[in-house]
Amino acid sequence: MNEPNPVPPQVPPQIPPVMASGSLRPLGDDPAERVPIPNIISAIDAILRHPRRVMFQLRQPGAGKLIAMMLLVSIVCSLIYGVVVGTFSGGTQLWAAPAKIAVGLMISALICLPSLYIFTCLSGSQARLVEVFGLLAGLLMLMTILLIGFAPVAWIFSQSTESLAWMGTLHLVFWFIATIFGLRFLEAGFSHSNARSHAGFHTWVVIFLLVAVQMTTALRPILGTANTFLPTEKQFFVSHWVDCLKAPAAAAKPGSPN
Amino acid sequence: MIMRAPAEKLNPREIGTLLRGELATLGGWIEQCSMRRFALHAGVIILGTGFYGAAMGWWRDPQQALFTAVKFPLIILLTTAGNALLNAMLAPLLGLNIPFRQSFSAILMSFTVAAAILGAFSPVMAFMVWNAPPMSPAAVSGATYSFIKLANVAVIAFAGTTGNVRLFQTLARLGGSKAIAFRVLVAWLAGNLFLGSQLSWILRPFIGSPGLPVEFFRATALHGNFYENVFQTLLQIFND
Repeated sequence: MNEPNPVPPQVPPQIPPVMASGSLRPLGDDPAERVPIPNIISAIDAILRHPRRVMFQLRQPGAGKLIAMMLLVSIVCSLIYGVVVGTFSGGTQLWAAPAKIAVGLMISALICLPSLYIFTCLSGSQARLVEVFGLLAGLLMLMTILLIGFAPVAWIFSQSTESLAWMGTLHLVFWFIATIFGLRFLEAGFSHSNARSHAGFHTWVVIFLLVAVQMTTALRPILGTANTFLPTEKQFFVSHWVDCLKAPAAAAKPGSPN
Repeated sequence: MIMRAPAEKLNPREIGTLLRGELATLGGWIEQCSMRRFALHAGVIILGTGFYGAAMGWWRDPQQALFTAVKFPLIILLTTAGNALLNAMLAPLLGLNIPFRQSFSAILMSFTVAAAILGAFSPVMAFMVWNAPPMSPAAVSGATYSFIKLANVAVIAFAGTTGNVRLFQTLARLGGSKAIAFRVLVAWLAGNLFLGSQLSWILRPFIGSPGLPVEFFRATALHGNFYENVFQTLLQIFND
């Protein structure tokens, strides 16, 4: 039976392109950017290969579903990377490290969301809070899926070194590289919101980085072990790092010959 | 009646195409990504680096030759597999929008070029080792040892450089820009060198000191890492 298909092919709704300031190509001028993002796999593919599609979809009605998907991916990926971090010490850290990394990342983002929105508005941006939240969720998703890419390398080193300082530095380097790519996505989205200046955004980046690294100290131990799930004394991250570097023998992998 | 396409066969002549860097053909291979070609490239890597590894290890002991013939291909294949996901993510983020299969295929091709060169040099290396005096503490401090060591460095550097030049040319063709190809190549190289160095450290020895027993892994294989060792060596140099 060769009857013609009575159902017409689904054509994405024609939404006018969103104009951006300066010489930037407006979001949505490429029809591929207007194709909705229906599921998690498409969201991951889009943020890696077509980030402008994610930025455009965040401006459309129903962006909440996309944001929820991105947050879900961020949580799952950070839990997986957390397990790799936990393999260094093993034992309770196999569940404690993933939980702390996922929770720490989400809390850091929530803490920094209001200041990001304020800086966005002060820069003259027209972005709504939901779009700013969506861009931040995009940053988290891109960062955490990149961490999954680093996970095999991190695992190899976890199994072959006893130095807590070395592994801590390695994880920080991986996190920093992943964050740079995430921030690039956020800045590209910010550029499309008619912002007059990027000074506010750059200030926020410093705040976000400081909050995230302090979170690793506030939730310690993430890599090593301790008698309590959370620290009993407050410490600034710089002094914590100096303490770790000064005591290499004490800060070695549990069960190591050192 | 169902017509079947004739089964594709492994064609070793494709290695010549790879070495010559016929970019139009290589671009087609990367886009097609056939399992048959993956198998051919993996086979060349196993044989090429295996033979070269055997020639390297033979100077120490025939058993070491066997161990190194197994370990050298393992490093290449584990590095390719371990960084596959990361490399596939970095390519589009740095401007080269290719899928996972294509990035994996491109990297495997560059290692295949390097392995083919290493395999071709393995008889030369074996001949040099055959002419060298048996490995002993005295031989290690002599000119022969230094010469063989330098020859190994030169051959491996030549193979690695050629593989990466071919990779750069392929990436430039795929991405349509030398700047993008350079960015992606540097990122991939950094990741592969970082992981490859540590895997080499874990799988040491490849030739082996004459004062130590022949073994597949050192007892301390999983204690410490390559970079810690380099750092400690530098500290020793500056403290002395």
